[in-house]
Amino acid sequence: MMARTDQAFMMPPSRWVGYLVALALIVAAPLVLGTPYWRGILVVCAMNVLLALSLNLVLGYTGQLNLGQSAFFAIGAYVSVILVRSHGWNFWLAMVAASAAAGVAGLLLAAFAVRLRGHYLGIASLGFAVITYQVLVNWERVTEGVRGIYGIMPPPPIVLPGLPEISFGNSLALFWLVGGIAFVVYWMLDNLVRSPVGETLRALREDEVSAASLGINGARWKAFAFGLASTIAGLAGCFYPGFVGTLVPDAFNIVESFTMLAMVIVGGMGTMIGPVIGAVVLTFLPELLRSAGELRLMIYGIALTLVVLFMPGGILQLVQIVRTRLAPRADGGGSR
Amino acid sequence: MSALLQARDLHKRFGGVRAVQGISLEVEADSVFALIGPNGAGKSTMMNLLSGTYQPDAGELVFGGVSLAGLPAYRRARLGIARTFQKIRLFRQLSLLDNVLAGFHLHHKVPAWQYLFPAAAFWRDWRTCREEAMALLDFVGLADRAHERAGALAYGQQRLLEIARALATRPRLFMLDEPAAGLNGGEVEFLLGRLREMGTRGITVVVVEHNMELVMNVADHVFVMDHGEYLFQGTPAEVQANPAVIAAYLGGEFA
Ligand SMILES: Nc1ncnc2c1ncn2[C@@H]1O[C@H](COP(=O)(O)OP(=O)(O)O)[C@@H](O)[C@H]1O
Ligand SMILES: [Mg+2]
Repeated sequence: MMARTDQAFMMPPSRWVGYLVALALIVAAPLVLGTPYWRGILVVCAMNVLLALSLNLVLGYTGQLNLGQSAFFAIGAYVSVILVRSHGWNFWLAMVAASAAAGVAGLLLAAFAVRLRGHYLGIASLGFAVITYQVLVNWERVTEGVRGIYGIMPPPPIVLPGLPEISFGNSLALFWLVGGIAFVVYWMLDNLVRSPVGETLRALREDEVSAASLGINGARWKAFAFGLASTIAGLAGCFYPGFVGTLVPDAFNIVESFTMLAMVIVGGMGTMIGPVIGAVVLTFLPELLRSAGELRLMIYGIALTLVVLFMPGGILQLVQIVRTRLAPRADGGGSR
Repeated sequence: MSALLQARDLHKRFGGVRAVQGISLEVEADSVFALIGPNGAGKSTMMNLLSGTYQPDAGELVFGGVSLAGLPAYRRARLGIARTFQKIRLFRQLSLLDNVLAGFHLHHKVPAWQYLFPAAAFWRDWRTCREEAMALLDFVGLADRAHERAGALAYGQQRLLEIARALATRPRLFMLDEPAAGLNGGEVEFLLGRLREMGTRGITVVVVEHNMELVMNVADHVFVMDHGEYLFQGTPAEVQANPAVIAAYLGGEFA
């Protein structure tokens, strides 16, 4: 389908520096972008990073064309809200259950991935997202259908002994929470894809027949990738309703799957940092161009088309090209 | 002692094509078994049946006393069956090193949680796998190119890399489908040496080959197929002298 860039091998020290810089950025970003509006954008950005990371695990590392990731985002959002509102669950417990529910739904889609390849899997996963959307619209007794659910509270405050209560009613704390979770998820996935698990998933992406000849059970490892990826997407979904305050099916239109796809591919799929860059750029670009409405999708479409046509490795590829162009000059021994 | 691998009356057809018709064979442990025959004789189909890439329409397969009936390829790899492909199937976008590392899939002894939070056992495994992978790349003469992309290798080198990757599974039985195809003279010599070396390491080799010189040099036993059927088997000398084999060769498009 589309070319993938290889996972860059970084030395451990530079990894630690990268992590520290990322942490510093997460802490500083909402202090620099101090208005409630921009802090809200940051929360959305953190959720998009989680979604892009999750899709990339399936698409970039395991090579499975998944056009239905919005379904798992939706399942996380709805299950967490329904458990809290209708069944009186504690939010944090509901979060765990909702993520798990999304993960189980992911296993269901993995069952298709075992039988279907490439375009066919893409179509099946798209169908999966359409069905999920229709269930949200039509199962009114549980989901309230298109009327939607209103007055959803943000996550309850965390009370730690000896510290002031941490309330998530403002987007500053909420961003630190979701951004912190995105950081931890990134860190764990980064370890995972560098481990033998990553070797196995990439082998599966490159060639299933020879992967099987090495003892790799394709069905099992696809289920693993889909299950983990949809759990992460479900986790992102848990924070969405409390942030917006309402929950309607239209937030999980299949177009949302397309925006996730755009973030992964524009950033550079099959790498860890690429989809993060894609999520950040495609969250902020429409805002900077003051066109959050209809134009947002147009920008995503144009970015996606340009990348696929001219730079299949995404923004990360561009960065690497620039770096190699500059490298000889940097250590060229002062030729100027 | 009975044979390491026994096939009884294997059949496989593709639509109207009877690719394999009633083949029975026995591969003795620690031997080099060559499977030869003209193009389209059904040799690759036999490989696919033995490795589990295809399942036979009829017939029995026993490996080390275990029936292989219905076992998919990945389960057979666990039993110690490794293979290469006639049409090379490398992980083209991955480095040579990563290709071989994927071959250790069955041999990692790391608690699962350490894949998320690497600790001592993870790093021990990480180091030994890389050392072994480099040793295997060295075995096929590609150690100095470990970090290049597999797809960038020349054809003959890709075949050698596929051998290194398969050896990473630590096979009992190693099946190679036309390993010398596309190799130059020097590379064929090198391959010959490596096949002999595998024999001394306790690996039983099944090799499908067009290159007669190679077959006659390394094989302990030669099995000849033609049009999906059994034609003849014996020592290399017996096969070379057999009129039916010679006729099949002259009739077929053999090199
Ligand atoms: N996957 C397949 N689908 C259809 N026909 C096949 C397939 N594999 C092999 N055949 C046919 O089976 C016969 C034997 O092929 P093969 O086993 O590749 O022969 P060899 O390796 O001895 O050259 C040929 O006629 C070939 O066209
Ligand atoms: Mg063949």
